[in-house]
Amino acid sequence: MSDTTSVRQTPSAAGSGLPGGIFGEGTPTFLTTKVDFVVNWARRNSLWPMPFGTACCAIEMMASAASNNDLARFGMERMSFSPRQADVLICAGRVPYKLAPVLRRIWDQMPQPKWAVSMGACASSGGVFDAYSMVQGIDTIIPVDVYVPGCPPRPEALIYGLIMIQEKIRGETLGQHARNRAEDPAAVGRPRADAAEVEALSHPFGNSTNQNRASGLVPGIPTVRPGDRIP
Amino acid sequence: MSMEGGSGYKDVPGPAEETGALVSMPSGLERAHATVPVLKERFEDAFLRHEVVAGDEHVVFVARDRLYEVLQWLKTDPDHAYNFLSDVTAVDYGGGRPIQMVYQLYSIPHRRVLRVKAEVPLSDLEVDSVVPLWSAANWLEREVYDMFGVRFRNHPDLRRILMPEVYAEGHPLRKDFPLRGRFSRAEQTRRALAQAPEDYYIPSDFGPGRDFQVVGWQEVGGEPVPVKEGSAQERKASPPPASGSPPDPTRS
Amino acid sequence: MSKKTIELEVSRTPEMGMDFRPAPGPMQPVDLAEPDLQSERMLINVGPQHPATHGVLRLVLELDGETVVRCVPHIGYLHSSFEKLGEYRTWNQVIPLTDRMDYLAPLIYNCAYAMAVEKMMGVEVTERCKITRVIMMELDRIFSHLLWLGTWAIDVGAFTPFLYAFQQREKVYKLHEAYTGARITTSATRIGGMMSDMPEGWDVGVRKFINELPRTMDEIESLLSHNAIHIGRTQGVGVISAEDAIDMGLSGPNLRATGVPYDVRKDRPYYDYETYEFEVPIGEYGDCYDRYMVRLEEIRQSCRILHQALDRLPEGPMNVDDPRVILPSKTDLMNDMESMIHHFKLVMEGVKAPPGESHFSVEGSKGELGMYVVSDGGSKPVRWRVRPPSFVNLAAIPQLVEGGLLADVIMVNASLDIVLGEIDR
Repeated sequence: MSDTTSVRQTPSAAGSGLPGGIFGEGTPTFLTTKVDFVVNWARRNSLWPMPFGTACCAIEMMASAASNNDLARFGMERMSFSPRQADVLICAGRVPYKLAPVLRRIWDQMPQPKWAVSMGACASSGGVFDAYSMVQGIDTIIPVDVYVPGCPPRPEALIYGLIMIQEKIRGETLGQHARNRAEDPAAVGRPRADAAEVEALSHPFGNSTNQNRASGLVPGIPTVRPGDRIP
Repeated sequence: MSMEGGSGYKDVPGPAEETGALVSMPSGLERAHATVPVLKERFEDAFLRHEVVAGDEHVVFVARDRLYEVLQWLKTDPDHAYNFLSDVTAVDYGGGRPIQMVYQLYSIPHRRVLRVKAEVPLSDLEVDSVVPLWSAANWLEREVYDMFGVRFRNHPDLRRILMPEVYAEGHPLRKDFPLRGRFSRAEQTRRALAQAPEDYYIPSDFGPGRDFQVVGWQEVGGEPVPVKEGSAQERKASPPPASGSPPDPTRS
Repeated sequence: MSKKTIELEVSRTPEMGMDFRPAPGPMQPVDLAEPDLQSERMLINVGPQHPATHGVLRLVLELDGETVVRCVPHIGYLHSSFEKLGEYRTWNQVIPLTDRMDYLAPLIYNCAYAMAVEKMMGVEVTERCKITRVIMMELDRIFSHLLWLGTWAIDVGAFTPFLYAFQQREKVYKLHEAYTGARITTSATRIGGMMSDMPEGWDVGVRKFINELPRTMDEIESLLSHNAIHIGRTQGVGVISAEDAIDMGLSGPNLRATGVPYDVRKDRPYYDYETYEFEVPIGEYGDCYDRYMVRLEEIRQSCRILHQALDRLPEGPMNVDDPRVILPSKTDLMNDMESMIHHFKLVMEGVKAPPGESHFSVEGSKGELGMYVVSDGGSKPVRWRVRPPSFVNLAAIPQLVEGGLLADVIMVNASLDIVLGEIDR
């Protein structure tokens, strides 16, 4: 497939003898450009986000759509509450295990091409919620393109993350697109990461190491759970 | 801290008594509660003890078997009329001690607060449901069942409320439940994604025999945490740490 | 057919592990779909991902035509194990968890938690701190009601009030940010005081905000209060009687809309609320419109309280002078051995609460917010329990929507003003 083409004006306009084209008199009536560029330009500037808002980040997502930080400036005028018409999934907020199949199904229901933004610390890594009910990062469930840090991120940060999605689209080529975005139909509804990867991604870090020790899951370290304290 | 009867906290030399000068307790510590003496007189055998905590909060311990009777009287007696059930919860102190059921009552006409507690031994976690008295107890009791495993007799719809119906790892707020759950993260993710939310449209439709056949974490694979039998007794035997001793490394 | 279940098209493979799924038998939806042609009932699943559920609430509605005959709420889709995490945090470390619980009114939760722990420890905070907390709680009541107003307007089909309300909310965000450095997750309180004294000119900013707010409220009210569509969709919808409301444990504006003047600020005053001059608005019919009117009036009453609190804001220390809970000043730390020891112990071990417990209620933006803390003398709670107002309020939703129309479910849900972070905890 050729990577360049020409875009001719419609015969009715070009052949009608009207003076000039879209740029005024004397300008050529056709443009040459790359298909990649045109397709990416179109995709990039009319992204429809699917707001998967659960917690605090959803409020900041609402703030970024409201008057002061007008998300519509960047072509995200229409929040698509149906995954069928959405291009980019914004996962804003904590995702417990009970919600994980819902998130996965919404991702599966979105048509290709699609992108995902993980907004906030909890969606990206579990955040402070290193506990029994929480998914430790949605990248164990769906592929994520952009992580927006913050707890919660400011609206500017979310907008910056979405601009990064736009930048990512700008760099894509149609030739590679199918390969990059190919999905195994058998993988629908399955975790994105395999068991080893889930373990690696959700390994405790920082302060949560202490929690893990207290939970008795790390062998060899004698621990006393808070329950064993005697008042 | 306690007015009468033995408080569980009574003998512990806590920081409060050592640095007593710093504690500014509100006045009126022994202010009588209008309901407690009447309650004691009426339910002599069911009334176990009475405590005043945090300055002015009155706590009444009653026998578990007569809990419903006591609460019914508190609600219906016109002189007391605790018509607003503020909260139902439970406390697990760990170490094999009984779970405390906590009922926080409020009387809108008399503007009076009372906390009623009942101790439920771990071997027999069952109390009477108070849903017939206050509808508000419905979800609150379901939450206690979900988090602590306390079963409520005569509850109209006792099933898990916050955790998934097929949750197999136990009751999370019990002290023997590890913070990160009993299964590995990979196993938890696999189980989560295998749920089908549409299986549970209206669970109560599935009749009284609605048993989700949840295989307990003890039976299935995963990595069950060994239950430390010894640790609780050892800790109980040792004296409570004085506040001057070096801090327990696991606490800080 | 008696029940129609909608099978979604995502196929599921046996490798996903069906072993712990419910046993086949009475559970299979396919069995229920067997036709008996007597009635036309239909199951509609709303949520957990739905724009009008205000979070991840899931409602399963059984419909007869367009009438709801049964409503089964499913919650827990945002269960983040707050209370378990609290048992692994020191007393002050719990505070960042409290504002993530109700992200619509974080400061009320910060203050309520700190007040419960202080009550249990017998710490009496300074006068300046008390009034600052009153200011913060009333400010966040407005903050929360404004978001409710915006989303409520969207649910009724009007978009403009959302933009108006968010413009005002941005001003509160800025005030939050000026004080605490964060827009939503404020973590402003500490046991025994606040994270810091208020920055220079912050009170002026609050006063400017509450001077400007009533004008916007008038504008929003002129768009909604006499709007025929709004009235038609809310009056007589989701009616509950006062007796039922008390029985269901409703609190806050939802209870007051039924005519019960129960407000913790008036009935069990804390922080000298009895000395402030304000009214408790109550409704008459207990329908959605009354809940709307009560909340609008509460915003105005909060402005009144804020004016009074700003007038009486005294000078003086913000934090209590108690080395058990508050770090000593830098000067003391450098010059005084005793302060050094206190500092070391506070940093290494955290605040230590004496054995005891307290159940402390404040009037949150959603209703009676109770904080139940239990200590065994250690530096971490044995139990930290939140009496969640919207959890109890939401439990009443089947009673409110059954018998009504499907479209009214959205309005009833909006009128309850729920926040899922606190329902599921």
